[in-house]
Order: sequence, then structure tokens, then C-alpha cells
Amino acid sequence: MGLVINGISVSRGIAIGKAHLLRHDELEVSRHTVPRPLIDEEITRFKVALGKARRQLRAIRDRIPHHAPADIVGFIDTHLLMLEDAVLTEAPIEIIREQQCNAEWAVKTQCETLVNVFEEMNDPYLRTRKDDINHVVDRVLRNLMGPGSGEAGQQSRGAKDRIVIAEDVSPAEVLIMHHEGVAGIVTRYGGPNSHTAILARSLGIPTVVGAPHVQEYIRKHEALVLDGRQGAVLALPMPVELGYYRGRQREEKRRLQELKGIRDLPARTLDGVDVQLLANVEIPEDIPSIKKVCADGIGLYRTEMLFINRDRPPDEEEQFQVYRKIVRAMKGAPVTIRTLDLGADKTLQEVQRDHVVMTNPAMGLRAIRCCLKEPEIFVTQIRAILRASAYGNVRMMIPMLSTLQELRQVENLVEEEKKRLRGQRKAFDESIRIGGMIEVPAAAMAANAFARRLDFLSIGTNDLIQYALAVDRLDEEVNYLYDPLHPAVLKLIRMTIMAGKKAGIPVSMCGEMAGDPRYTRLLLGMGLREFSAYPATLLEIKAIINSSRVGMLEKYIRRILRAERQEDILTLVETLNSLH
Amino acid sequence: MIRKDIPVINRLGLHARAAAKLVTLASEFSSAVQLERGKKRVNGKSIMGVMMLAAGQGATIRVMVDGPDEQEAMASIEELFRQRFGEDE
Repeated sequence: MGLVINGISVSRGIAIGKAHLLRHDELEVSRHTVPRPLIDEEITRFKVALGKARRQLRAIRDRIPHHAPADIVGFIDTHLLMLEDAVLTEAPIEIIREQQCNAEWAVKTQCETLVNVFEEMNDPYLRTRKDDINHVVDRVLRNLMGPGSGEAGQQSRGAKDRIVIAEDVSPAEVLIMHHEGVAGIVTRYGGPNSHTAILARSLGIPTVVGAPHVQEYIRKHEALVLDGRQGAVLALPMPVELGYYRGRQREEKRRLQELKGIRDLPARTLDGVDVQLLANVEIPEDIPSIKKVCADGIGLYRTEMLFINRDRPPDEEEQFQVYRKIVRAMKGAPVTIRTLDLGADKTLQEVQRDHVVMTNPAMGLRAIRCCLKEPEIFVTQIRAILRASAYGNVRMMIPMLSTLQELRQVENLVEEEKKRLRGQRKAFDESIRIGGMIEVPAAAMAANAFARRLDFLSIGTNDLIQYALAVDRLDEEVNYLYDPLHPAVLKLIRMTIMAGKKAGIPVSMCGEMAGDPRYTRLLLGMGLREFSAYPATLLEIKAIINSSRVGMLEKYIRRILRAERQEDILTLVETLNSLH
Repeated sequence: MIRKDIPVINRLGLHARAAAKLVTLASEFSSAVQLERGKKRVNGKSIMGVMMLAAGQGATIRVMVDGPDEQEAMASIEELFRQRFGEDE
């Protein structure tokens, strides 16, 4: 077996090719004093480099293939706008004048100032935007420093069927590489949220980022296999391995074709087990995308969008209108409306004013806790949901339950409103089902008690995993610990599914895990029969379900649930996924 | 001058691409466009400025437009936010 280097999977698919090492040496910038009479000349030199950088980017933009997603042009436009922004066009000139320094030094100084601002940001997505500044500044510097510091994309000319190995690549470089037909990209740095990663994903280039020491381990022209799905790079593959990956490559191509064909088929395993595929939505405008994939209903309708960023919460009538619109559009298919999950940064301004904002909002006053503390807002929503239930198949879902006491309070409020609606002769579905989200580990462990009192359960894996492992998924320092395959997480999921089975109520899953094809068979084997995910992923999930046999999965599931080490579980899940 | 509080509703917030669209749009008008979030106030025609607002989903931006075409500018900016910066989510 060859050498395997593991990184972070960014863009799926398999690439087979030869290593193309991209030298992208850190630019050495030193400081020189520029004599006063030559300052103007130095400024001109800076302006010329800036102009060149702009022209290069425009040329790159013009080469974007027509079939590429529209937002790709946006990446380059962002960089172009940066090159026109005063913080990059004027600030360095001031630095040259004030410090009497060379243009390179001025650009570098200004870059550091900007990067520092971004590094202090709380939002991890925005924090990674400092990469954009570095890429843009790098381009200006290379133009200033003249030939020999040429950009990576130029070196990679003719990179057809090559797998590029680099320290890091910029979005512009990804575009050039794509244009030249690059087979895959592996970088040492970069995260799954960087522009480069998003771009590679949307262009369908198999890509792995964060592969440690990849440039030291892999030699020029070495034969490589890049497994985008696993986030792995395999150097010097044996013929048998090559054969395996060629097969998977063909399979991948065929699969994309097949997906189009199964749209109208029901989700049913080969041994006849029916599965419900539901969609996660946020606004009525999401409905067309549900119809496009023929989902069986809505498994999670997040109502927060109606509430955030306004001074007063929407009144009953406004909410009723929106809910009814969605319920009607679904024509009798189930619509699971989740009651307010406010908290974290999605805070209703009115509530925010009345309560002190805590430092750990994920564990603070949010979701059902917040609703029970603000019964007026909650009751209004309950009434609107009840009234909408007259127009179709509505399920009310309570987020973040952790105690039965909370559930009792909810039940009392719902009963009261039902009584009042009857008195007011307003229609609602008398048998409306009320379910709870199982996302607090305590609730999963007490799932039997919840299942006996509720009409359905829905596992919210994002929070469940985050709470069970004490890992903030957005925190780049610790998110490597976030693992849906942690034995404890699987046990919590299993407990919830079994509790539902015992009580005879459906259990669905609406977290990201439900929409990740790597876990479909695992969850199916564990007994999950309702998957709720973003509409775009549902067809792929259906393809996996329709090619599985539940009977064959079960013996592996027993071993998975007994396994203690995460790597053993991963291996078993992979075996599961490769069963025919 | 007119001012308005506009919520950021797209999933990724006012990230680079969304910021680029906003800056491009703001630059089409002759009115001055300023954005404010918390204590930070920036020029709405500067990409770096807009990105530095670090406005994620759920944030509210106070938009201030001042100049001859302020009504039209405000309406267009509001529409861009409402359309989630043209992202399909």
C-alpha cells in the first residue's frame, strides 16, 4: 500500500493523476528607506503594480467558463473591489510618504493592519476572510517585485490531469487551474469555509485542504489518487488500488446520471422498507425547491426568519398567513413547524432588551426555555400554528426540550389555546400532532419518557453532537473534535430511535447528519425511517436508500454500536457504504 | 438624509461576495452611503469597510444614505438585502 495523507474533505469526487508541486514561496519583503526626492517615483511604482494586478484579475474573470456557477465571478469581483478600495489604494501611499519606505514594505504593513482586524472577528466565517486580503496583497507584491515572483497559476500552465500540491491556492488560481483542466487540488492550509474551498466545490474539482506536510511527503510527478470524499491523498498507489479508484470514478459519473432518474420514485430499500424523505425550509420561497426533488413533506420549518430583526414579533394574523401559505402549498403532505428557536445570535430584540445576554448562549435562554419565559410570544405562535393546521397536515415541533416539566407546560398552553379557538369558532386540526426535538443529550437519555408523551421525535444532530462532545462546531480551534461517529453520539441517536419504536411513534432526524450521504446507511441500519435535509441533498440520500438492504445492514450496526474506537467505527461505516 | 435598519437574512451573512454586491450597488449612486452596526460605522462603498462590519446572519445594519438620489439608493439596497444578495440557499 502507498502513502496516505489525510486532510479535510472539501469537494467530493476522485482524481487520479500525477503530482504537480506548486512552489508558492513566502515573499520576503524587507524595508528600505527611500530618499525624499524619489518618493513620488516610489508611489508611481506602487500605482503601476496595482493597475497590473487589476488587469490580471480582469483577465482571469474573462476566462471563467460559461457553465460555471454565476457566483464565481463574484469571488473575483470581490478581489477587484479590494484593489479599488482606499484601504489598499491610498493607505499604502500615505505609509510610503510618512515612513519614507519602499512600496513593498508599505503594502505589507497595511496588509498586516487589515489582517489583524479580521482576526479579531468573532464570526469564524468572516475570520477566514483574511485569506482574501492575503491573496490580493500577494498579487500586488508579486507585481511590485517583478519577474521571478510570478503567480502560481502561471507555473501550473498545462496542468491537465495533474493533481496540484500547494501550500495554499487563491480562488483566482483555482479558476486558472480549472480552465487548464486540473484533476484535483491538495493544499496544506485552508479550511472548508475558505473561498478557495467553496469555489473548488462549486466547480466540482476534487479537493482536499489542511493536508499536513503534504509538500514534503509527495515528490514531483509521483502517481497520486485523491479521494475527495474521504479527504485523503494516496501516493504511489498499487495497481489494485488504482483499479479500485478507477471503478469508483466511473461509479461516481454513473451516479450523477442516475440521480436524475429517481426523482419520481418512492424512497424504498431493496428489501421493501419505506423511508420518508423530508425537507428543511426557512421561508415560503423554499417551496419550489421541495417540489423539484419530490420530497415527502417538510421535516423542519424554521420559523425564526419571521421573528428576527424587528422590534415587535409578528402578530397572530401575520404568522397565520405565512404558515397557511406553506401548509396549502404542500397539499396534505406533512409540514413540521418548529416553534421559535431563538437564542445565540438570532435574538429577538424585545427579548434581548429584557434579559441579560449570557456569554454561553447555546446553553442559555433559548428555544423552548425562551418561549416559556415569554409566554405571550409563544402563545401567539401556538395559535397561528393551530389555525394553519386546518389547511393541511401540520405537526408542531418543540425545540430543545430537556425536562418533562417543559413539555407539560407546552401541553397546557396548547390545550388552553385549543379551547379558546373552539370558543371563537376558529378552525384547527383537533388531532394536530406535537413532537419534540431531541438535541439535548439528557433528552436523548430520557427519550422513553418523552416518546410516551409525544406524537413524534426529531433528532437535531447539530446541537446534540455539540452538547454531547462539548464542542463548538464553529470554533476552529476545537472543531476537529466534532464527530458524528463518536460512540457516545451514536448511542444517543440509537436510544432516541429505539424509544420512538417502543412507543410506536415516528422518529426523524433533521440535523446535518441526516443530509450527509456518508451516514445514510448507518442511520438506516440504526432504524431511522425519516430523514429531513436541505432539498438539494435529498435525491442523493434516496439513491443510497434505494440501493440498500436493511437486512444486510443490521449485523454491521451491532458491531458499530459495540465498537469503542472512532477509527474502527469509521472503517465499519465505510464497509457498510461499500456493500452491494 | 434617510436611515433605515435592515436585517441580514441570508445564511452566510454579509460575507465577501454579498459585500461585493452591496458595494457595487452603492457605488452606482451619487449619494453617500454609510453603514452602521453597533459602534462600527463604515463607508458603504468600501469593500473592506463593509466586510469589517462582520455582520453575520441575524445582524441588523443601520443604513444611512445622503444625497440627491437617496430614495432610490435606499430602495435598491433594501431590495438587495431582501433578495438575500441573490444567493440560492
